[in-house]
Amino acid sequence: MAAEYLKFVDVTKCDGCRACMVACKNWNDLPPEYEEFQGSIQSHEQLTAHTWNVLTFNEQETTNGGFEWLFRHQSCLHCVQAGCEKACPEDAISHTKFGSVVVDADKCVGCGYCVQGCQFNVISLATYKDKRGKEYRKAQKCTLCTDRLEQGLQPACVTACHTDCLIYDEREAVLSEANSRLLQVKDRFPNANIYNPQGIKGTTTVYLLADKPSVYGLPENPKVALSQVVWKDYAQPIGKAMLGVTTMAVIGAVISNSIAKVKNGDKGVDHHE
Amino acid sequence: MTNHWNDLQHTDCAMIIGANPAENHPISFKWLLKAKGKGGKIISVDPRYTRTSQQADIYGSLRSGSDIAFMGGLINYMLEKELYHKEYVIAYTNASFIVDEKYSFEDGLFNSYDEAKRSYDKTSWAFKKDEEGKILKDLTLEDPRCVFQLMKKHYSRYDVETVIGVTGTDKKTYLEIAKTFGATGKPGKSGTILYAMGATQHTVGTQNVRIYAMLQLLLGNVGMPGGGVNALRGESNVQGSTDFGLLYHNVNGYMEVPTASPEEATYKGFLEKNTPKSGYWRNKPKFYTSMLKAYYGNNATAQNEFGYQYMPKLTPKKDYSHMRLFDAMYAGELEGLLMFGTNPVVGGPNAGKEKEALSKLKWMVAVDLWETETSAFWQEGAGSKPADIQTEVFFLPACASFEKEGSITNSGRWMQYRWQAIQPKGESKADLEIIHLLALRLKELYQNSTKPADTPIKAMSWDYGHGNHPDIDLVCREINGYDMNTKKQISLFANLKDDGSTCSGNWIYCGFYTEEGNLSKRRDHTDEGMGNFLNWSWAWPANRRILGNRASCNPSGQPWSKDKTVVYWDAAKRLWVGNDVADFPKDRAPDIEGGTDAFFMLPTGKGGLFAGVNEGPFPEHYEPYENPVSNVFSNIQLNPAVKYGLEEMNAKGEAKDFPIVATTYRISEHWQSGAMTRNQPWLSELASHMFIEMSEELAKEKGIKNKDKVIVTSARGKVEAYALVTKRFKPHKLKEKTVHQIGMPWHFGYKGIVTGETANRLTPHIGDANTTIPEYKAFLCDVRRA
Amino acid sequence: MEMNVTRRQFLKLSGAVAATLAVVELGFNENEAKAKANSFKIAGLKPTPTICPYCAVGCGILVYSKDNTVVYTEGDPDHPINEGALCSKGTTVRQVYTSDRRQEKPMYRAAGSSKWEEVEWDWALDKVAQKMKETRDRTFQTMENGVTVNKTEAIACMGGAALDNEETYLLSKLMRAGMGLTYIEHQARI
Repeated sequence: MAAEYLKFVDVTKCDGCRACMVACKNWNDLPPEYEEFQGSIQSHEQLTAHTWNVLTFNEQETTNGGFEWLFRHQSCLHCVQAGCEKACPEDAISHTKFGSVVVDADKCVGCGYCVQGCQFNVISLATYKDKRGKEYRKAQKCTLCTDRLEQGLQPACVTACHTDCLIYDEREAVLSEANSRLLQVKDRFPNANIYNPQGIKGTTTVYLLADKPSVYGLPENPKVALSQVVWKDYAQPIGKAMLGVTTMAVIGAVISNSIAKVKNGDKGVDHHE
Repeated sequence: MTNHWNDLQHTDCAMIIGANPAENHPISFKWLLKAKGKGGKIISVDPRYTRTSQQADIYGSLRSGSDIAFMGGLINYMLEKELYHKEYVIAYTNASFIVDEKYSFEDGLFNSYDEAKRSYDKTSWAFKKDEEGKILKDLTLEDPRCVFQLMKKHYSRYDVETVIGVTGTDKKTYLEIAKTFGATGKPGKSGTILYAMGATQHTVGTQNVRIYAMLQLLLGNVGMPGGGVNALRGESNVQGSTDFGLLYHNVNGYMEVPTASPEEATYKGFLEKNTPKSGYWRNKPKFYTSMLKAYYGNNATAQNEFGYQYMPKLTPKKDYSHMRLFDAMYAGELEGLLMFGTNPVVGGPNAGKEKEALSKLKWMVAVDLWETETSAFWQEGAGSKPADIQTEVFFLPACASFEKEGSITNSGRWMQYRWQAIQPKGESKADLEIIHLLALRLKELYQNSTKPADTPIKAMSWDYGHGNHPDIDLVCREINGYDMNTKKQISLFANLKDDGSTCSGNWIYCGFYTEEGNLSKRRDHTDEGMGNFLNWSWAWPANRRILGNRASCNPSGQPWSKDKTVVYWDAAKRLWVGNDVADFPKDRAPDIEGGTDAFFMLPTGKGGLFAGVNEGPFPEHYEPYENPVSNVFSNIQLNPAVKYGLEEMNAKGEAKDFPIVATTYRISEHWQSGAMTRNQPWLSELASHMFIEMSEELAKEKGIKNKDKVIVTSARGKVEAYALVTKRFKPHKLKEKTVHQIGMPWHFGYKGIVTGETANRLTPHIGDANTTIPEYKAFLCDVRRA
Repeated sequence: MEMNVTRRQFLKLSGAVAATLAVVELGFNENEAKAKANSFKIAGLKPTPTICPYCAVGCGILVYSKDNTVVYTEGDPDHPINEGALCSKGTTVRQVYTSDRRQEKPMYRAAGSSKWEEVEWDWALDKVAQKMKETRDRTFQTMENGVTVNKTEAIACMGGAALDNEETYLLSKLMRAGMGLTYIEHQARI
């Protein structure tokens, strides 16, 4: 499903201020997570259930002897073919009309298959306690501020961004801006590219990257494994009807583990498929 | 700022030196990137590669403390390649003025230096005058004694090779910067210089800024949209608090504090001494008398010199600035200290010693939102022994900015109103109320006194309504000023009087509160052209948005470029008109006497390429107080006009023990001493750790790995923190030797959600020869693994 | 002078009808989470405009408060400088209010004591005024070199770069014109 609007991240315009990180926390009332010193000014090693976007800082010597300090607003890409959605045995993850991939907390059982299913290390489990002190888990990640979109407001991160590194606009406008920016930045960033991977039928967050995806820890050509698609779109609905939910969850676990193996061997390297 | 934030979009080239706006003034980049989008260039000059550098087109490295060498080289380049804007220079600067014979310069010293006093006789740097007292000029700029030629000679010593041997800048990059910024010298082009504390926090801070201004005058960039010399002020109202006399040497509106010198014994004598004969400051008596009327109301009369004698007088030549204040405190001369939102135990130079000084106080009052390292200086956590500290401490909780109402003045001089969004948290109160309640109590304590010494506090007017909370509207009306008889608000400072018939608490703000109301509350965001939002808030002076904007036009009053029109002379209307308020008498035609005195506030009306500040009329490179190399420009190592304070407060380190240059700075996620930001979860989360940034080369030499704990030492203290080993710092390859530099944020202390050791325990207690701003930005240290 | 504000609607989502809004678990407390999930957090709230308290760019911020707390802050889209954007510090201004580290009571630390005591405002202000008077009176100089000077050099007043203009005005008036202080300094110097 192609979204009418896209979020565009032009990393070449980012000045690393990190307003997007706290704008997200502020709108979504997310708690702080104090991490160990990362050896750079980066605050968090990666996305977590309470930190839905992280600005990454990457020092890169260029081939011509120059230097670039590469920043990236890292958050959910809202894949059109979303690994997390495909992995979910409870139909708790779905696409909204905005193309955002969201988790229905009422349906989520905290099984964590979605965590394995995501190739971008975006989704993770938050632990809560109920009234009796019993722990339970729910999957959490960026919602693209779907509640704001419903009200005609932009995502909180986009609203805060002062450099137009983050834009939320009509699909065609975003894609044409991406193309024209790519031409403008090629001189300085010869490896610049538009990241909108077609292996997962595109994403609702499109990037203009200043260097190869692998430099940013992104898979060059992500795909949702066929087995996962088959499982989600064919086997699971039929299976649930025939075998019951529990059995299907076990089968789902087997499939998710196999996906995890593919994913972990695949981190940031351009050799698969 | 001569210009303002929105105006940055009009620049053809922004040179950012001594500032890191992407981190410390991030929203400036909204406008800088608009300029970049239109083909403008951004140059970042900094000892390390910053978030600003990443958004720049050119990054040039320089060693901390070598700005004058860097800029002197650029001036030399512009003169040699004739890139300067000649018509502008002749018309609007003092380049053509003939300098008096007494002026000379030799081996780092100007004439009239008194070594014992470490000072010059500034009157010896004068212009030659004819019999009528008019300054002699050579408009061809060829006379060897004209400012232009003397300047050319002075900076001919700043050739590229010498300069880069001092700054460590890569030659190709330096030339590229010179060429790129030099292109703004073309008529109609504009370049801006953005600076902040990286420029001012040096023993040569004032001259750093002066030399930026000189380059801008040479290139014809002052007064232009997209031009100017722009100080990026770091606190929300540091502009306003400076405008309102919260420094020892100024009363409101940048006028003098009286001194106990015989000439100033009377108000008449004071005004005579301090009122220039020409330029707009001729009007000073009107502004001063109106201020005294605001201070003492009906108790200020012509008979009692408008209450002039109630004002405290400084001891002549005595320095009461921050460091000298702490020297006096350390020496036991001070009994009491009141602090309003300030945290010197983290933010002060040689902070460990400043903390010690606090324990000599009898009493201290801290007004703040948070318990700071300073208000808690007596605690064990601060390394103190509480039982040994006899200081009584009062903590008064202040409320936050949106829990009260009032205005603040931004860096572009916009006075913007803030409304109250919520009641003060807990029992906290607005500072306005705290000051008011103290004033009422003090007036009550003195009300029955008959001692003459107590007259000032009794005479001070304090009529801000009934009840505990003062009526802020009455305060605003008094700041603007009104007619004492009719009580009508004065619409413009030109209408103030020196006969006691008007009051005005601060003349430069006169005009913000007219009979129309409080204009700082305006929220009309209509762009009147060129990004001038004349009906949004109000800007001092007189709602002018770009200072010196007369100079954006040629001598005959038409813009140097149609694309850069802000004001121009309308010959039909015989007025200066445009999308900004002209910074010029609005009906003074270009072709009459003074019609090209673009900087009409100044006595000569011309921009000062030659101007006497304490260390000389031309900025000259001197090395920082502590540094590892000798001065290649002369045998004078340290700025000869720098004054030393209390020796115990300022131990000096030598290069043999401390071979590494260090600097302090801020990061985007924290603010100043961190009191505001380290007490908040989300910002604490973004930047949780104190770190020391260093090059891979230095780390290797010292056997330090990224994330190791390291100890930095200086002659004054030591700090333990994480090593952040980065490609963004590189050793400076100077002519004499290769010098390493490290840097660290100064936001950390022992209070707050996130804590860390305080960088300022390392910094020296010495400052600029004019402003005494401490030299935080260049000092010596050593670093080792913890 | 009206403090008119607008909340700009950015998107032209014609005919967008609220459909399957995902229910997201928020916060840590289950009850709170449920309550928040069911309502748009700034629905029906009228924001108050303010200017950022940090650097001197002077960005506009809208403050949304409800039930005596600040529930949200966001850049003011009408403001000519920031046009709705903010940096990380401006974005988190809400926590200047909500931080549990705010001091909410006056406190006093006696000579030699190792702790603060909470005190009443009246007591604290009375004591401070008395201290100021005692020190001033004991150290007040009326003459120096035959010139009337009316000053005390034993009390210093520091800070003010985060105060409002009206506050700085009253502060320098009281300290200089009223009390005769010469040691008046603030952050512009450092």
